Amino acid sequence: MLNKRVKNILLKEWQVALHDLNSLLMVTLLPLLIIAQAVTVFWAIQEFAVDSILGLDIVQKALSNLIQTVPAVGALPAVQQIQVFLLSQMMFYILLIPTMIAVNSATFSIVEEKLSGSLEALLATPLHTWELLFGKALAGAVPAVILTWICTLIFFLAVRIMGWGALISLVVTPAWYITILLLAPLMALLSFLLGVIGSSRAKDAKSAQNSIILIIFPVFGLIALQVTGALWFTVVPTILLGILLAGVNALALWSAVKLFRRESVVIRWK
Amino acid sequence: MYGMPIIEASGLTRRFDSFTAVEGINITVNEGEVLGFLGPNGAGKTTTIRMLAGIISPTAGTANVAGIRPDLEPERLHEVIGLLTERTGLYERLSARRNLEYFAGFYENINVAAQVEKYLKLMGLWDRRDDYAGGFSKGMKQRLALARALIHEPKIVFLDEPTSGLDPEAAHEVRDLIKKLSTEGRTIFISTHNLPEAESLCSRIAVIRTKLLALDTPDNLRLRFFHPQLIIHMAKVTDAVEAAARALPFVLSLKREESALTLELKNMEINSPEVVKAVVDAGARIASVTEERPTLEDIYLNLVRDKPENVK
Ligand SMILES: Nc1ncnc2c1ncn2[C@@H]1O[C@H](COP(=O)(O)OP(=O)(O)OP(=O)(O)O)[C@@H](O)[C@H]1O
Ligand SMILES: [Mg+2]
Repeated sequence: MLNKRVKNILLKEWQVALHDLNSLLMVTLLPLLIIAQAVTVFWAIQEFAVDSILGLDIVQKALSNLIQTVPAVGALPAVQQIQVFLLSQMMFYILLIPTMIAVNSATFSIVEEKLSGSLEALLATPLHTWELLFGKALAGAVPAVILTWICTLIFFLAVRIMGWGALISLVVTPAWYITILLLAPLMALLSFLLGVIGSSRAKDAKSAQNSIILIIFPVFGLIALQVTGALWFTVVPTILLGILLAGVNALALWSAVKLFRRESVVIRWK
Repeated sequence: MYGMPIIEASGLTRRFDSFTAVEGINITVNEGEVLGFLGPNGAGKTTTIRMLAGIISPTAGTANVAGIRPDLEPERLHEVIGLLTERTGLYERLSARRNLEYFAGFYENINVAAQVEKYLKLMGLWDRRDDYAGGFSKGMKQRLALARALIHEPKIVFLDEPTSGLDPEAAHEVRDLIKKLSTEGRTIFISTHNLPEAESLCSRIAVIRTKLLALDTPDNLRLRFFHPQLIIHMAKVTDAVEAAARALPFVLSLKREESALTLELKNMEINSPEVVKAVVDAGARIASVTEERPTLEDIYLNLVRDKPENVK
């Protein structure tokens, strides 16, 4: 997949991005806000709402799922059980980060080149459509994954500062590693592929953004599954989820190529 | 004098929804030829070039370029053709060198560094190689875009209005480059609004207005659409002189002015001595005799103007 033409795209995309420090800053700021928001919510829940949460049936169910996966949690006092429960939700919450980044950058990638006229010159080279779309998506996904990892570290740092540090070892289960190392990259690629599809079909970046927002809903679905105790993501379900995501990625690239219309280059921009 | 057919279009048609931009174009261009593509704004020049260059597909008809169907195997075609797009479309935030390196990086079997250097030097941009393309003048941008189209040494080059918007000197430089490309044996397909340019560069000229109106050498176009005219200046055109000229069978038309007769003849070489003799015999005192050849502009305007069947 990483042939010389795709690499060529990656290098150029990154070089252009480095020249645009303003957008780079914007893109970095957003995931940091997501993290800050999560930390604030966690803190507020433990300060003000632990009792009422403990009273909820679904939370009890989710907690028993959690204790089944990580038996050590059962030995903790109720407040700390809730803290571990909250921290565990972060696993999927973090998957929103690459999507957020994609909304703000992938959507410009093709539209911009259409508007400037460089896309037509690009389409006159031996570059294949899949290489163009995959290269564009990967160019965004790689930094998005790195940023996601950095945000995860920042999150745990904040958790330590909040005084929950001792619980981290209970939260970071093998499923966490799979999520961070496998799901996050797949999610990033998928988000950017969707962004690129939107971008290659749309007449401007705004309408491209709409298509990508859709991906956020399944992620919320995952969080809901876990919060409601319907399913706790241990290693096997997480790996299955990874395989599913990889398949969806392949499907997304395939449909990106199918949906890409060379013709759209020549659409008159009014 | 030219090689085998290398660009062939047959019945090439492109519709956008219900609007027909290009209809039933049949063209054959031979290897090494320079074909001029003329037509008013919106005539379908860019659309035709895009179909031949594998950017968009025809809605009817077929094209064959270098033995490849552009709509079926665009990537394979692109190894052997170069396209100078109507808009330069450079990456303004990248240097001239990076712009070329990027595009060169998509071709097989290419020495990127050597080709980039060769074309930056050829286009006179070597000293500005590390400057952003965004800061270039229009002429420099056009030369950089031309370098981009040629970086992989394509044997067929499509140039969409290569000199539009350039000052006379910059346009002249670009024309010299195109001549040089032609002497290297490349096949060149060039659309332009500049008629003297087309005449000086092209072996044949196609005039299009949605449909192909004419396709021939400039000289043959003249013969087909205009008869050469003979202008005889004399002290005074008398009735006797006019009558003598009119009596000749090969005079197709005659215009009388105070001191000049303008005649359209069947055959300039054979007929003109006889005309001159006839008017002298009728008493004319001739000051000068000149032959007027129609310019390409006359032919072009005659072709594209007021033709109801071509009005969209
Ligand atoms: N994507 C498109 N959708 C709809 N109409 C189009 C599209 N592209 C071109 N056209 C129309 O097709 C016609 C031919 O356009 P084209 O650009 O080929 O003309 P041209 O001969 O290159 O003109 P110019 O000399 O102005 O460059 C025009 O009327 C144009 O509006
Ligand atoms: Mg045009």
